Amino acid sequence: MADDIRRLSEALARDPASPVYLQLGEALRKTGQLDLALKVAVRGLERHPHDADSHDLLARIAVDRGELERAFDEWDMVRRIAPAHLGARKGMGYVLFKQGRYVEAQAYLSEAHELDGEDETVATALAMVRVKLREAGAQAPQGPQGPRQVHPEDTEDTADPADRDDPEHLRLFDQINEGGEHTALLLDATGLVMAGTYVTQDGRDVAQEVGAELSGVSDEARRAMRHLELGDWSSLTVETDAAVVAMAPMRDDALLLVAATKAMPLGLVHRVLDRCVERAGAWLTKGGG
Amino acid sequence: MKTNLTPIISALTRQRGVRGSLLVDETDGVIIDATLHVGMKGPAFAALAASLYRKARLSADAAGLGGVTFLRLRATEGHVCAAGKNEMVLVIVADARANIGLIRMEMLKALERLVI
Repeated sequence: MADDIRRLSEALARDPASPVYLQLGEALRKTGQLDLALKVAVRGLERHPHDADSHDLLARIAVDRGELERAFDEWDMVRRIAPAHLGARKGMGYVLFKQGRYVEAQAYLSEAHELDGEDETVATALAMVRVKLREAGAQAPQGPQGPRQVHPEDTEDTADPADRDDPEHLRLFDQINEGGEHTALLLDATGLVMAGTYVTQDGRDVAQEVGAELSGVSDEARRAMRHLELGDWSSLTVETDAAVVAMAPMRDDALLLVAATKAMPLGLVHRVLDRCVERAGAWLTKGGG
Repeated sequence: MKTNLTPIISALTRQRGVRGSLLVDETDGVIIDATLHVGMKGPAFAALAASLYRKARLSADAAGLGGVTFLRLRATEGHVCAAGKNEMVLVIVADARANIGLIRMEMLKALERLVI
């Protein structure tokens, strides 16, 4: 990643008008260099004020910086410039979800679903919003802030039937995750997600990808422990440029994974991991659903 | 045999509960320098720790989480900690009573001082 950033910086220095600033800004964002990413994005926007992707980049950086209002405004601008921009709808839905404005979030996500009915991340996000709406006892969307009125029959059409019938696997860790900048996943022995969600700050559900990639680390840990005579492993914590990921083994070779922002103290990450292990253990004991 | 890296590696071993510290080539798992308590199987430990760190690094990158800055494996009878730089991995093995917060800080400082 550092090499990519260097290469992109050099390309931008050679040609400041080049659209390469989009890749550079995104690379800096992904590595957590948010101030630099913001500078690059703002300079790019000065040169390309009507480019939807510039505003989209700025919105994603703003989300990472915790500036949700600014992110919403930027995505709103994207929507005006490029009415069929899927990411803008997803992003706006995500911001509204984070703000607890579930009815409006559902409206934007439903629009996103209309734009791309195959996008699984939108279907998952919609399912999560509906869980929240059900919990809050909310009725059909009625506020004027959303882009359009959504009727209950529309929302039923877009939901994943599995999510609609049994949302427990999606919200297994909701109580633990409430108000925290972390998320939890329960993976089976093959790395497939059994419970929990992993939604990035720009609204993408990457649970399967993250689960599949990281579950292999636990195999390596198990193998190492067999030879090092340190007993059974109880947790593995990996600090990265973008996050802290903590894992713990579960019965039947399942794996519990907690991902938190870098701002979260490590000790607290482990406390959350312990609570999620307890919760997932109880869930597995009663048959996983 | 002492190298110019030995003082940095040895300093880590003086932390409470640390059984050994090693600097390992991440690619082939071979020891570059190490200070180990008697009875520790250095080469096997180096290979396994490097492999674990490498797997974590590649997986985190593939999952879009960026580079790995620190790794800690907790087991019933001890801990393995690793931090990497320039395809080298600094690894320590410590027993269960070790102060991992302090060890982590010292490892990250040591990594900054390591120049080959």
